[in-house]
Amino acid sequence: MEIRFTLNGKPTAVDVPPDITLLRLLRDYLDMTGTKCGCEIGECGACSVILDGEVVNSCLVLAPQVEGRRVVTIEGIRGPDGGPNDLQEAFIEAGAIQCGFCTPGMVVAATVLLRKHGYPTREQIIEGISGNLCRCTGYQQIVEAIQMTVLRRGGLPEKEEHA
Amino acid sequence: MSELKSLGKPTRRVDALEKVLGTGRYTHDLKIPGMLVAKVLRSPVPHAEIVKLDVTPALKVPGVVAAITSEDFVDHGNWGFPVKDDYMLAYKKVRYVGDPIAAVAAETEEAAEAGLQAIVLELKELPAVFDVHEALKPDAPILHEELAKAQAEETTSGELEDAEFIEVHGKGNLSETLIVRQGDPLSKLSECDVVLDAAYSVAHQEHAYLETEAALAVPTADGGVTVFVGDQNPFITLSNLVMTLGMPGKVRVVQSPHTGGAFGGKSDMVYETAAQAAMLAIKSGRPVKLVTSREESMIASYKRDAMEMRYRLGATKDGRLRAAKIECWADSGAYASMTPFTSWRATIHAMGPYHYEDCHVDMMCVYTNNGYSGAFRGFGNTEVTAASEQAIDELAEMCGMDPMDFRLKNCVELGDTLPFGQKLEYSVGLKQCLERVRKISDWDRKRAEYSRQPAHQEIRRGIGVASFFHGLSLGAEGLDFAEHTIRLGEGNKFEILTGLSDFGQGSRTVFSLIASEVLGFPVERFQWLPCDTDVVQECGPTVASRSTILGGNATRLAAMRLLTQLYDAAAMMMGCMVPEVRQEGEVFYGPAGQRVTLDELIAYARANHIPLSAKARWEMPRIHWSFAKGRGVPYVAYHFGAQVAEVEVDRRTGVTKVLNIYAVHDVGKVVFPQGIRGQIIGGISQGLGYALMERVEFEKGYIQNPNFDTYLIPTAADMPVVTVEFVESELPFGPFGAKNVAEPSMVPTAPAILNAIYHATGRRIRHLPANLERVLLGYDLKDTVTTTVCQVGVCERAKCEL
Ligand code: FES
Ligand code: FES
Repeated sequence: MEIRFTLNGKPTAVDVPPDITLLRLLRDYLDMTGTKCGCEIGECGACSVILDGEVVNSCLVLAPQVEGRRVVTIEGIRGPDGGPNDLQEAFIEAGAIQCGFCTPGMVVAATVLLRKHGYPTREQIIEGISGNLCRCTGYQQIVEAIQMTVLRRGGLPEKEEHA
Repeated sequence: MSELKSLGKPTRRVDALEKVLGTGRYTHDLKIPGMLVAKVLRSPVPHAEIVKLDVTPALKVPGVVAAITSEDFVDHGNWGFPVKDDYMLAYKKVRYVGDPIAAVAAETEEAAEAGLQAIVLELKELPAVFDVHEALKPDAPILHEELAKAQAEETTSGELEDAEFIEVHGKGNLSETLIVRQGDPLSKLSECDVVLDAAYSVAHQEHAYLETEAALAVPTADGGVTVFVGDQNPFITLSNLVMTLGMPGKVRVVQSPHTGGAFGGKSDMVYETAAQAAMLAIKSGRPVKLVTSREESMIASYKRDAMEMRYRLGATKDGRLRAAKIECWADSGAYASMTPFTSWRATIHAMGPYHYEDCHVDMMCVYTNNGYSGAFRGFGNTEVTAASEQAIDELAEMCGMDPMDFRLKNCVELGDTLPFGQKLEYSVGLKQCLERVRKISDWDRKRAEYSRQPAHQEIRRGIGVASFFHGLSLGAEGLDFAEHTIRLGEGNKFEILTGLSDFGQGSRTVFSLIASEVLGFPVERFQWLPCDTDVVQECGPTVASRSTILGGNATRLAAMRLLTQLYDAAAMMMGCMVPEVRQEGEVFYGPAGQRVTLDELIAYARANHIPLSAKARWEMPRIHWSFAKGRGVPYVAYHFGAQVAEVEVDRRTGVTKVLNIYAVHDVGKVVFPQGIRGQIIGGISQGLGYALMERVEFEKGYIQNPNFDTYLIPTAADMPVVTVEFVESELPFGPFGAKNVAEPSMVPTAPAILNAIYHATGRRIRHLPANLERVLLGYDLKDTVTTTVCQVGVCERAKCEL
């Protein structure tokens, strides 16, 4: 069946079997491989995309469900010059990337988190990315990258917690 | 040493940009026209004889283009190192649930699936064994009859040789026995004031790399095949392919640009995946891509071995360690894979980095029908340290000593001798690590404060420590070398050619930094390339945290030779003598005020056919370990470290929250600060999972938790705040003094957490993981309740037939 939706700001039409997921549509039919597949059961977050402003696991969304809606993938997250935006730049600087397989999903989750909370706290950041698994980094440098972005966007530094 | 320019300074990972933009390609992402999809039929039972296997009906399924079995490979695809006991596709028998039996390639996934369903498979189930002790009984079902028979003959017919690993054999299901021998610990124990005798165990752990195993095989014009994979050593993949496909000179292995994690897990299973895809590509004449699903990956791939351990340690009443008698049983599963090597490393490290008068370690590697075990970060040391560092804590308590003081009193220092006869000659920073971690964790205050918590308090805090050592690189396992080339490439960048893989650990960046340091050019001047067996030199496997030392040194030497070439060219260009050339960054000066930039120099070299390309090989100093005597020099030197964990346990629910981890590691020299910190914190997250939640649940050989909804790994919410510091006791032959770090980072984490839980609750949990029940009740529900076996669908059809 033909599915029409807005992908990264562009009207898109694609002919796919009706029982495939959005993840498969993106990767197998549009060759948009920035969105990764790690479990296909909605547990790892590697397949995260933004659907009408909300983070979703694209492996749990059926392709026909996106008809007429707006989808943003990692390929649509860029700075004004087409290079990395400030969040992506912070990921590089903070060492938030190792193998990089979770990175697109993390960037997607963090993008929505920042949009929703403006200046999220450490707790909110942790909550915001806790649906995204990373086996390499131990998360700390990912949290730091997001905190770095908050600061650069005008947020205030949080007081150091002491246990 | 003069001031360093590039090393140890903040730097970005050289391959980060395309990862953060989502443009970097992984094996999962590769796609070429005409590509077929492959699927594998896997064993639905833990142990069976293959009575009938016919793939021809699969070929009649519309869309199916090729189907293969072990018959298609040379010598039935028999392979394996150090024990050649495995097959690219099962031959005669299957030995674990998930053992690959046949594979098909088809136009679509659905057709491939239908092809699998059409294969005629008849299995005769055999008795299976799931417990290491049961497996060693005389009447136990034998997994590898032929090997066992050959071994029995060999053992009776001659002397044991110690030159080769493989020749120290066991019998029946015992694949190897490994030992350390010093003195007579049993009689020494009877003289000790304080003696501990305790049993510990660790569970199977899944690597859980986010990218599952995959391979893309492409037939070539000369009748050969090129295979794209993400593995830990393209040359081992290559030699296994050549051996089992039988086409020397016609196989090429190329690493995909990026690999989604490995942690020791991208070896054997990837070699098999590569061979299956390659054979299907040869048979079909079409490119074939094989990607495992998460469930398939979790069921079929190897794990960290489960291990049972008995520790008997003795000390004087004032806390001086005297004797250790340690016995371990490693669950190798269906195949030997790396278990003989992981177990050897475990044997060497089982007693911890302490002085003993007498010490024996006996390690038995045992075949069972529980999947199969292989390499995983820490490679045996993670397993034994989880036990030994708890045992040390228990002994310290019996002596009435603070665990930190006890360790400081017994830990090895420069010039000391380890209990297998090795004198420590270089770079021993353990004491400094312990002292530093004591300070930064505020150990003394917190330990005293948490010890005073009233007995009725339900939410309790505790603090625990673990220290450890970890031998550098492969050690006496085998020849240990790397060979790198640095050559002029496009855009006047220098390409660093290596056979070592970077699946996220950052070795590409480390090599660029070292080249930059030697040559004096900015890091951006260097370009990395994925390993390609047609282009790069063999460097040995990317395992054992060996990249920085081996590859770092090879890079340093190659860069020095390249610098010589550049000076020669500069002298020629400026019409002066080489000693008169001066260099500042990317500018070269002559004695009479001549000045040429690197780009001008490169243009001159190109115009005058002066090659700018240098290669260099670096080898570890050779050492010897006697496998028969259990003594010698297993590793030239060691990484040392100590971690402190601070936990909060809710006694009403069993929930353990790790609040803080303080990690101090002696890494020789910090080369890539962001990378090394990432290695440590990442390792700690895997150690935290190992301590609290991770266990592959084998129920009569069937894995009960084959995806992330049931096999839980730490999320951001599980992680403590991690504070990392380094001790730099330079290794004389490490590149700029650097040592290993990737594996060691996770080794002490689990026992530090377990010791902290004990401090908080008074409950000693000797069996990992310390899940809710164990923390709450002191025992695991799994040990008391019999669950019915749920046959997690490996192949629905085959299951129904049985
Ligand atoms: S692939 Fe969708 S959540 Fe894992
Ligand atoms: S960087 Fe490898 S999974 Fe996150």
